[in-house]
Amino acid sequence: MSDKPVSNKTAPGPYQPVMHRYWWLQHRYFRLYMLREATVLPLLFFIGCLLYGLYCLGQSEAQWQGWLAFMAQPWVVLLNLLAFIASLFHAKTFFELFPRVMPLAPAGFMIAGQWLATLLVAAGLIVILGGWI
Amino acid sequence: MNKSISIARYHPEQDNQPRLQAYQVQSDHSTSVLDALLQVQQQDPSLGFRWSCRMAICGSCGVMVNGIPKLGCKTFLRDYPDELTVSALAHFAVEKDLIVDMQPFLQHLNAVKPYLINSEQSAEPHRQTPAQLAKYQQFANCINCGLCYSACPQFGLNPEFLGPAAITLAQRYNLDSRDQGKAARMPQLNGKNGVWSCTFVGFCSDVCPKKVDPAAAINQGKVASAGDFIISMFKS
Ligand code: SF4
Ligand code: FES
Repeated sequence: MSDKPVSNKTAPGPYQPVMHRYWWLQHRYFRLYMLREATVLPLLFFIGCLLYGLYCLGQSEAQWQGWLAFMAQPWVVLLNLLAFIASLFHAKTFFELFPRVMPLAPAGFMIAGQWLATLLVAAGLIVILGGWI
Repeated sequence: MNKSISIARYHPEQDNQPRLQAYQVQSDHSTSVLDALLQVQQQDPSLGFRWSCRMAICGSCGVMVNGIPKLGCKTFLRDYPDELTVSALAHFAVEKDLIVDMQPFLQHLNAVKPYLINSEQSAEPHRQTPAQLAKYQQFANCINCGLCYSACPQFGLNPEFLGPAAITLAQRYNLDSRDQGKAARMPQLNGKNGVWSCTFVGFCSDVCPKKVDPAAAINQGKVASAGDFIISMFKS
């Protein structure tokens, strides 16, 4: 008999973490990400509506009127409203992310900007100090 | 002030999975999570964790604090008035307590050839203008802490994914005016475990303690990869 502590493992070793299916419920950031991904669903519905309308327009006036009536139903309006909000949300994230992915301000400009800021601060200091002396 | 803190303990020879253990520590306005861990170690010398610089520059003290990747030395108890749980960095194998196996991370860094590749033989220094420096400087601030890997669900799901820091490092050298190695790095970035595995969750940039913005680097990498593809179409 050994006096070693009893091990409940066959072989000692590192613990391999497993990612469970609901990882995205873990915290707010992942839930927001999933919401962003889910906004594609109402947008798909909106595109479907649009294509169907175009098709109806090509068929007959009665079909077109039918499409208009379909579009006026409250649940369709609600879903399209959702799609509208989703696209606004996307526009917002797009404008936030775009400058980071495509740094449009070329480095030269940024450095010129830094020099300009330095000049302005220096000029300001000279004026203030000059006035004071 | 007395504060209770839970730490995920794992003993590789005894445990099947990490278990939480509660400790009491003394905390004031300046007590960091790392300070708290050091206090716990005084009470219980069997606790294992990594640290070195205490000033957010060595990148070795990464842990999960209430499920979010953080540097222990840059995170303060004062910001956690309620519960505080410290566990090992997510998505890495746990060796013991808060110590993880960083080997996969280091391998991924290595895979992108993170050094200047330049065949020119010259005794002259390679001069660089401030504008040329500004192009990659932000991406050169990475301290290899690995927090971004613990924040990345794509790395969690596919450990082969090169991941935020490695792709950022590739981008850092690709943008360097002294470097000529872009062609050698692009196959890695274009491959199935390269930039296109990223779905822009963006959490990596949020947790980065050095504001490196790896998510931006990866998506710049996507632009470069797409450009590379178009050029290769015309070449063949
Ligand atoms: S990019 Fe940021 S979070 Fe990722 S390893 Fe570098 S310093 Fe750490
Ligand atoms: S101890 Fe060096 S980064 Fe925290």
